[in-house]
Amino acid sequence: MKLASLSFLKSCVGAAVGLMLGLLLCKYAGESPLKVLRVLYESSFGSGYDFGMTLFYTAPFILTGLSVAIPFRAGLFNIGAEGQLTMGALGVAAASALMPNLGPSLFAISFACLAAFVCGGVWGLIPGILKAKRGSHEVITTILLNFIAAGVSAYFILYVLKDPASSQAETAEVASPYWLKPYAIFNGAPMGDLFWVLIVLTLLFSVFLSLSRWGYELKSTGENERAAETYGISKSRAWMSSMFVAGGVAGLVGVVEVLGNSHRLKMGFSADYGFVGIAVALVARGNIVGLIPSALMFGILQKGSGSLDLETDKVTRDLSYIIQGLIILGVASEGIWDYLKLLRRKPRV
Amino acid sequence: MNAIEFKNVSRRFEDFYANRNLSFEVKAGTIHGLVGENGAGKSTAMKALFGIHPPTEGEILIRGKTSSIKSPIHAMRLGIGMVHQHFMLASSETVLDNIILGHEPRRGLIFLDRKKALKSLQEIVSSYGLSFHKWEFPIAKLSVGEQQRVEILKLLYQKSEVLILDEPTAVLTPQEVRELFQNLKRLKEEGKTILLISHKLKEVLEFTDSVTVMRRGEGVGTVKTKEATEDLLARMMVGREVSFTYQGERKMIAHPEHLKPLVRVERLTIESQTEPLRDVSFELKPGEIVGIAGVQGNGQTELLKYLSHPDRFPKASGEYMIRGKHMQMAGPLELRRQKVGLIPEDRLEEGLLLRQDMRENFLLGQHHDPRYSEYGMLKRSRVTAELESKISEYDIRPTNPSALLGKMSGGNQQKLVIARALDPSPEILWVAHPTRGVDVGAIEKIHEALVRERNLGRAILLFSSELDELIDLSDRILVFFGGSIKAEFQRRDFDPWKIGKVMGGGSA
Repeated sequence: MKLASLSFLKSCVGAAVGLMLGLLLCKYAGESPLKVLRVLYESSFGSGYDFGMTLFYTAPFILTGLSVAIPFRAGLFNIGAEGQLTMGALGVAAASALMPNLGPSLFAISFACLAAFVCGGVWGLIPGILKAKRGSHEVITTILLNFIAAGVSAYFILYVLKDPASSQAETAEVASPYWLKPYAIFNGAPMGDLFWVLIVLTLLFSVFLSLSRWGYELKSTGENERAAETYGISKSRAWMSSMFVAGGVAGLVGVVEVLGNSHRLKMGFSADYGFVGIAVALVARGNIVGLIPSALMFGILQKGSGSLDLETDKVTRDLSYIIQGLIILGVASEGIWDYLKLLRRKPRV
Repeated sequence: MNAIEFKNVSRRFEDFYANRNLSFEVKAGTIHGLVGENGAGKSTAMKALFGIHPPTEGEILIRGKTSSIKSPIHAMRLGIGMVHQHFMLASSETVLDNIILGHEPRRGLIFLDRKKALKSLQEIVSSYGLSFHKWEFPIAKLSVGEQQRVEILKLLYQKSEVLILDEPTAVLTPQEVRELFQNLKRLKEEGKTILLISHKLKEVLEFTDSVTVMRRGEGVGTVKTKEATEDLLARMMVGREVSFTYQGERKMIAHPEHLKPLVRVERLTIESQTEPLRDVSFELKPGEIVGIAGVQGNGQTELLKYLSHPDRFPKASGEYMIRGKHMQMAGPLELRRQKVGLIPEDRLEEGLLLRQDMRENFLLGQHHDPRYSEYGMLKRSRVTAELESKISEYDIRPTNPSALLGKMSGGNQQKLVIARALDPSPEILWVAHPTRGVDVGAIEKIHEALVRERNLGRAILLFSSELDELIDLSDRILVFFGGSIKAEFQRRDFDPWKIGKVMGGGSA
């Protein structure tokens, strides 16, 4: 526990240093760093609507962060959250199109969640199986499957589920029982109960990972596969199961997007959620609870990026991405800590 | 003249001193031993000399001149060469190419002159009175002893004046050891200086001229070998009296011939490129320790892998039975249910999760034990409670269950591996190299634990590369060569020379 909190602290300091560097950069560009901070703050927390939107951006980041962090326990680097969430969203669209009149809303939404989880999960399971049975490197296979997912999803959107009334590349609107109901306090932002369910599930999942045999098997495999195998833990099972769950969790992004936001599946809807998820997991250092603040930070930067265009003269939304990059660098510069430790100890001979 | 002199040499890693104020001198044309327990800093001192870890304080004098050795290449230029414990040879290349690597004679600017290289090597061999002729053989076709000779020839080819040998006898048969030291003596007579790192006191006493003893990174003292005894060196190493052979009680199990064997392996054959097994049969009865002897690579590793994980060998033929039950399809969890405990060959690679704490490591392999998990959930508090009692029973340090394994000493890591294998007390034990990389104090404790389990009626199969350990502990010894059992020795007939001969391929 002490170790986890120390590593959390390191992440915070790293992120703060990255943010400072970003703000210095605006100073250089001729914009007041304080103003940039104020724009970012007001844009993400300024009103009920803004806060709702920030949380709405945060949810996919938690999910994709999870989908990177879970296989990471077992020693796998999942670059495929983007493809998995694409397939999850397709699953949601297909499920709602297949059964438009499915009973009460709770029932319909649960059905959509299941479809998203299974579709994304299978897409994650494929590289898991390839790794376990053929030894194919998961980084390569997940990247390739991202492209395949984009193609498959485009085919279904354009030729199978296409809205004939629309001139855009999008499916028909999903039936109303499937819609997530937004909260009134968020003033129309597409933010509802599901967010809190997500937070609670994330916390529970974190406990589950540390207390369950499955979590232990993933950790042992990631730590030392040979030792795990010697003591009867199957690495194939750990890899396949973690990739299935990772894909499923990423697939749930489809629920947030299709049922919560546009109520239809649009081609290319994802703002690189899958790839930002890698950064989210990195900043959280693989800690599941840490994904929540980490995702929130990326949510704020995402939400604020648009306002930077509108409300400042010298900087654009690109600054938000630059800050994201600097934060990642700040957090990832792990070696700095060892170097500092060395400096501190040198004078004492 | 002193070939080498260490003057107050210290090497610090952050706030840990691997060497501290180490001073000793080595006369030119002598064999100098450097002994100490594992982790005493012998290898660090030699790495300082060879330029891998230059000292942080103090200085090293070479032939009387201060030399700050910055890199291995620099060290080689100063005439210092090192044979590492794990040989640094390209196994698919020929002996000749391995030797000249880095110092290739050329014809013109680009063409290798192998003929010239071969000629100068043959001159070296004959001038030192050595014998070697397998120049065109790939390294992989050579025995371990021959590979070592290649490493030494390489140093001679580089015109090294000082030869550092790091635990050179760890992988050799007694016969090969003798041959090695005969060669080293010849090199000494030709004026070479030899630094020998070893923890085998007998060898050091027999073959060196002077010995420096190290403890906890510091030099305890340097003595002339003529004036040293095993007891003296051991006391200097450990700082207290140690017994070398297990002195405890060996309870005789009544009429072991009439006991039914717990384990039966019959005509076990495994095809493998590297380490095949041919027609291996043996039985294991309650209350006996059966030692498995053999030079590394003669089938012992494969046998242990098979015994602890038979389901990974679908092509193995023969029988493997525990209490009459077939085990050919069993995995580690099934073996555990059959009350088999395992102390794996390489604890770092196969036994431990180094970045995790003792709790996680104690659980490894026991995560399906109903005491520790239920309905897929772990009983963390039960694990910690049991671990705490093991920590005090086996005197594991540090005593904190959340200590990280990677920060613990080899001896304490191994104690945890053993505590885990003996929880709950198994009826059968596969034990491999239980004291490898473990300090002398812990060795005694580990040997005690093994004999205690034997006296309790457990059947123990003991794999070890230390013949002395096998002779101390075993009731019988099976000697492996070329993938099959070549001889069996009963305790009353144990003779290291006879066993060594079989290990080297001779007949008993």
